Amino acid sequence: MKKLDRLTVGGLACLAVLVVFALGSLVGAGGDPDAIVGPRLQPPGPGWWLGTDNLGRSVLPRVMEGVGTTLLLSSVAVLVTAAVSATFGIVAGYRGGYLNELVMRLVEVLYSFPAIVLAILVAAVLGPGQTAALASIVLVTIPLMTRLVRAAAVAVSQRDYVTSAVISGARLPRVLGRHVLPNVAGTIAVQGTYALSVGIAVEGGLSFLGFGVQPPQASLGVLIQQGGTYMIAAPWLILGPGVVLVAAILAINVVGDGLRDRLEPRETRSLT
Amino acid sequence: MRLLMWWSGRALSSAATLLGVSVLIFAAVRMMPGGFAETVLGPFATAEQEAELAARYGLDQPVLLQYGHWLAAVGGGDFGVSMISRQPVGAELLARLPITAELTVLAVAASALFGVPLGVLTAVRARPGGGGAAGRLLSGLGVSVPEFVLGSLVVFVFSRHALGLEVGSWVPLTQDPAANLATMVLPAAVLSVFAISVTARTTRDAVMGVLVEPYVTAAVGRGESPWFIVRHHILRNAATPVVTLLGTITAYLLGGALIVEHVFNLPGVGSYIVQAVGRRDYAVVQAGVLLAAAVFIVMNVLIDLLVGVLDPRLGVLAGRRS
Repeated sequence: MKKLDRLTVGGLACLAVLVVFALGSLVGAGGDPDAIVGPRLQPPGPGWWLGTDNLGRSVLPRVMEGVGTTLLLSSVAVLVTAAVSATFGIVAGYRGGYLNELVMRLVEVLYSFPAIVLAILVAAVLGPGQTAALASIVLVTIPLMTRLVRAAAVAVSQRDYVTSAVISGARLPRVLGRHVLPNVAGTIAVQGTYALSVGIAVEGGLSFLGFGVQPPQASLGVLIQQGGTYMIAAPWLILGPGVVLVAAILAINVVGDGLRDRLEPRETRSLT
Repeated sequence: MRLLMWWSGRALSSAATLLGVSVLIFAAVRMMPGGFAETVLGPFATAEQEAELAARYGLDQPVLLQYGHWLAAVGGGDFGVSMISRQPVGAELLARLPITAELTVLAVAASALFGVPLGVLTAVRARPGGGGAAGRLLSGLGVSVPEFVLGSLVVFVFSRHALGLEVGSWVPLTQDPAANLATMVLPAAVLSVFAISVTARTTRDAVMGVLVEPYVTAAVGRGESPWFIVRHHILRNAATPVVTLLGTITAYLLGGALIVEHVFNLPGVGSYIVQAVGRRDYAVVQAGVLLAAAVFIVMNVLIDLLVGVLDPRLGVLAGRRS
């Protein structure tokens, strides 16, 4: 197998650090996120490595909790998206006909909304909170993944091994599960990775506007929104969570690119 | 003739999508919790007052009838009345639209102006077998910084050190174009970072795809210079994915503009929608979200037209298929 390139390895390492960070907050490493440890709005220093907020809480454990909330929410949402998109994409792509038409119509409708606008609409219906953030990420990421899975499934369905499976009497679930699904799994993996970074951005944006995760629970978006109020006096309140948020999205995108290059290699040439 | 048929089919399908969007928005708004009666009348409203209010806004009619009325009104350009300010929503949207449009146009222009050359340059200079980790990391960073993070940072930096550009204020374009531009430069820059990076990446991929075509090999074999090859063989053939992307980007930017307007306190359509959701101002949410989706759908039809002009093969193929 080809070795992973250095950038992808770096992305994976960065993700691993963030996950350890998030898990650490579960066992209380970094301190109690709700404990008041010192004076208000202190710049980073010993005892509070990322500074303190407007109540005198240390920012570090809050960022750790926030990473956990954000990663967990986005991961669960993307798993839901992957399950839904894989099911509908594969069935629509394999079966074609009116079912395909119906699925693609629905996807088209969802695809017509700018991501954050759709997220706000969902939050307005469900009421601000974690459920709204989760549902928003699912609805925002479903259209693109379903489309691409369907396109891949259409191509796979015409392959000889699928025809031969059908001729040898395999039932529909077996054909889809054993022959089509494994061959579109690469698309699902790559798109799932990108969907994860979209999910993190959507959760952040929604919580930033006040319609996502609600304080006192910390998410990266919540922290940046709260930090905004005291930004001029205490820029570390948005710098800490901001840098972590960008690092998470960047790492996931880099891993997604690496995954794509490996699963769908392209011919290259240089002109100069 | 075939082409004409295809175009009318395309228009019809877009209309169907728009209808689906309107149903979804209408249903979503009806499902919103905490009736607006409470918002408008306060917690001490009597049942009579609520009934009177519901009758005034037609909320006591069957849902299907409400939808029909709404659709007919919207079709006639009437977006209803804000339940908070009692002002017509259409007029308010129209007054705010230029700000969002200006932001979006500036960002799209920036992505075409910087993103396309950047993408061509990196593609042509790329060494076989990947590499260019620094470039990949940089363009990756560009697509990974959400507007609300970058926006907050920019507001912070420029609030401390004004540097001649103001944040948090806004001057109408018609009043003083120079001052308007000074207040719009920063929001537009924040908004365009993502667009520029995505455009550069897509252009790079598209150009690299064209570079391995036999006609490029032939051109290299004839000894044509690299820039001649780029101008004559590559740009037009790589244009389709890039132009298509500009449509998607415009839609994305409409969403991004919402965040940027909120962060920079600009009175555009986006901040109107955010406010309205907070206040449960149904009519405004309905109209604002519908407007955003409609712009995206219309934009995509226009892009399809443009792609057909740029690459006549696609139009003919599409015509034959139908």
